[in-house]
Amino acid sequence: MRSFFQAVVSGLVTGSLYALMTVGMTLIYGTLRTLNMALGAMVLVGGDVSWMLFSGLGWGPLAGLVAAAAVTFVFGVVIQQIAVRPLIGKVGVDFEMTAFISTFAVAIVLANVALQIYGARNKGVPPVIQGRLHLIEGVSVSWHQVVMAGVAIAMLLALGVFLSKTRYGLGISAVAQQLDAARLMGIPVQRVYNLTMGVSSALAGIAGVLLASVFFVSPNAGDLPLLKALIVAIFGGLGSVRGTIVAAYIIGLLEAMISLYFGVKWSLPVLFFVIIVVLLIRPTGLYGKPEEARL
Amino acid sequence: MASVARETASVGRLMGWRTPNGFAVGALLVAAVALPLVWRNDYVIDVALTALIWMVLNQSWNLQLGIGGIWNFGQLAIFAIGGYVAGLVSLHWGINPWLALVMGGVAAAAVSAVIAIPVLRLRGIYASLLTFSFAEVIRLLVISDESGLTGGSFGLSGIPGLAFEGLSPDAKQRAYYWIALGLVVVTAVFIYVFIHSPLGTALKALRDAPAYAASRGVSPLKMQVITFGTSAFIAGVAGGFYAQYFGTISPSVMGLGPLSLFVAMLVVGGLGTFWGPMLGTALIMIVSEALRDLEEGRLIVVGLILLITIVLAPRGLVPLLQDGWARLQRWMAEDEVPEDAPQEGSR
Repeated sequence: MRSFFQAVVSGLVTGSLYALMTVGMTLIYGTLRTLNMALGAMVLVGGDVSWMLFSGLGWGPLAGLVAAAAVTFVFGVVIQQIAVRPLIGKVGVDFEMTAFISTFAVAIVLANVALQIYGARNKGVPPVIQGRLHLIEGVSVSWHQVVMAGVAIAMLLALGVFLSKTRYGLGISAVAQQLDAARLMGIPVQRVYNLTMGVSSALAGIAGVLLASVFFVSPNAGDLPLLKALIVAIFGGLGSVRGTIVAAYIIGLLEAMISLYFGVKWSLPVLFFVIIVVLLIRPTGLYGKPEEARL
Repeated sequence: MASVARETASVGRLMGWRTPNGFAVGALLVAAVALPLVWRNDYVIDVALTALIWMVLNQSWNLQLGIGGIWNFGQLAIFAIGGYVAGLVSLHWGINPWLALVMGGVAAAAVSAVIAIPVLRLRGIYASLLTFSFAEVIRLLVISDESGLTGGSFGLSGIPGLAFEGLSPDAKQRAYYWIALGLVVVTAVFIYVFIHSPLGTALKALRDAPAYAASRGVSPLKMQVITFGTSAFIAGVAGGFYAQYFGTISPSVMGLGPLSLFVAMLVVGGLGTFWGPMLGTALIMIVSEALRDLEEGRLIVVGLILLITIVLAPRGLVPLLQDGWARLQRWMAEDEVPEDAPQEGSR
């Protein structure tokens, strides 16, 4: 029973992180109709930024969080300008396919640039806070994990407020719901695209900093988060923020349970099997809407 | 075969398809056959052979991704399954390597046909997510396999090659080279006939107007299973041949690095074109060999090439060259107009 509770706790923590990574992916798909494969690279960039601040200046992960968010925001805007914007409205080619491939190309370039700069070694970043929190007898969670979950949930709440209450956030929702109507209402669509890419990349960058102290920062640090984010995104339904968050927690808990009862090795194959079953029943994921209604 | 070709040619004229220039194709083929005899350099032949294997793989992939418009990003796992099955059956059961090659293809086709069914229900991007994560799951499963069957991250080694035991190493390599070339040619002819047959037309119709094609009696399920099956069979045979030539196969043939290389080959050449995969493979192989000293840094260059191509010429080089060639010919024809102007009307 204790190990069950332990699994639930760690499932909730990983679920929060998955939500943080995937919400960006779903936002971008909702507004830009682009599956941003470069988000994995943003996790990597976030981790590298916090590592550089730590090893170069001795600054802790909290400074890393802010710096990584700023840097990845800029990266996101630049990627939008270089890799996505030129493709919008090109005749004779499938935009979703070309944007998928162009962001994939960006991800390859970034991961290999990181490999050239830092080499293949694993770089450790210390946790935000040391120590463990004992919940009940035999069930404990490290304070760093508490911070991880806390930051992730705070970010998600802030995103929710941003999307539903602020001028810019409403702009993003409007563009996602009805592009032409949004344009008619005078919403600067290009700026909304930049903002979406920036915000989503910053969320992935923050996830990267949080993950950096659990795993290590290495040139393929972005691969597994990207894969998990893709699985969560399909499961939840692309373009649905609520679906993504629900799916992230389900996947996080499921993964913890599978690791507990079958061993870590089986977590991915079983997850994959679950995804196939879900897709056979609901081809657009849990909350995905079949056609244009999104966010 | 001949009647199919004739019919294809007549349909081609009707539909306004380009017919390949027989002389150019023949010259290219002669050059490719003569390469190992003229350029007697082990390393060069080895690289050319690898390029030929990738050409087979990329052609099979193009059948789905380009011509079928099915977003399959799991073809490398299919390739690896072919390689592993061919390796395993010849290692453990001592099956004839040629038969093992076919078994690799069949196993790959079977796995792929199963994947085809959930993919059929998915729209565009979801299909790419599912197939991509399928490939990653296969890769991670093989890496974490501790049962000794697949050899984990080190892979299988000591896979028996095709039966050329009596030959000298050089002659053996040449024999492999010509077989690989044969595979490329057979695949190319098959794909040419396939895309110009009613099946290929149905596939393109499903890509361009799924609802209309289905309403005209094209079965999406049937077409998808056929496409996945044939494409995977070809990829599986390529995988088996790879395993037999190198004597080893490991999970390193899958993953993001190789995937980016192959996607670059397909996109640079031109997705959905007949010559695209072959041209793209050759070009990217040349670039990657020219930058051999950079080691892993090559992928930066390949990634940049991919990015530049997709942004500036999303349809790839082959359509670009074909358009350029057509424009050049029109331009030359324009020049001739004043001389034979009277005949203009009669033509």
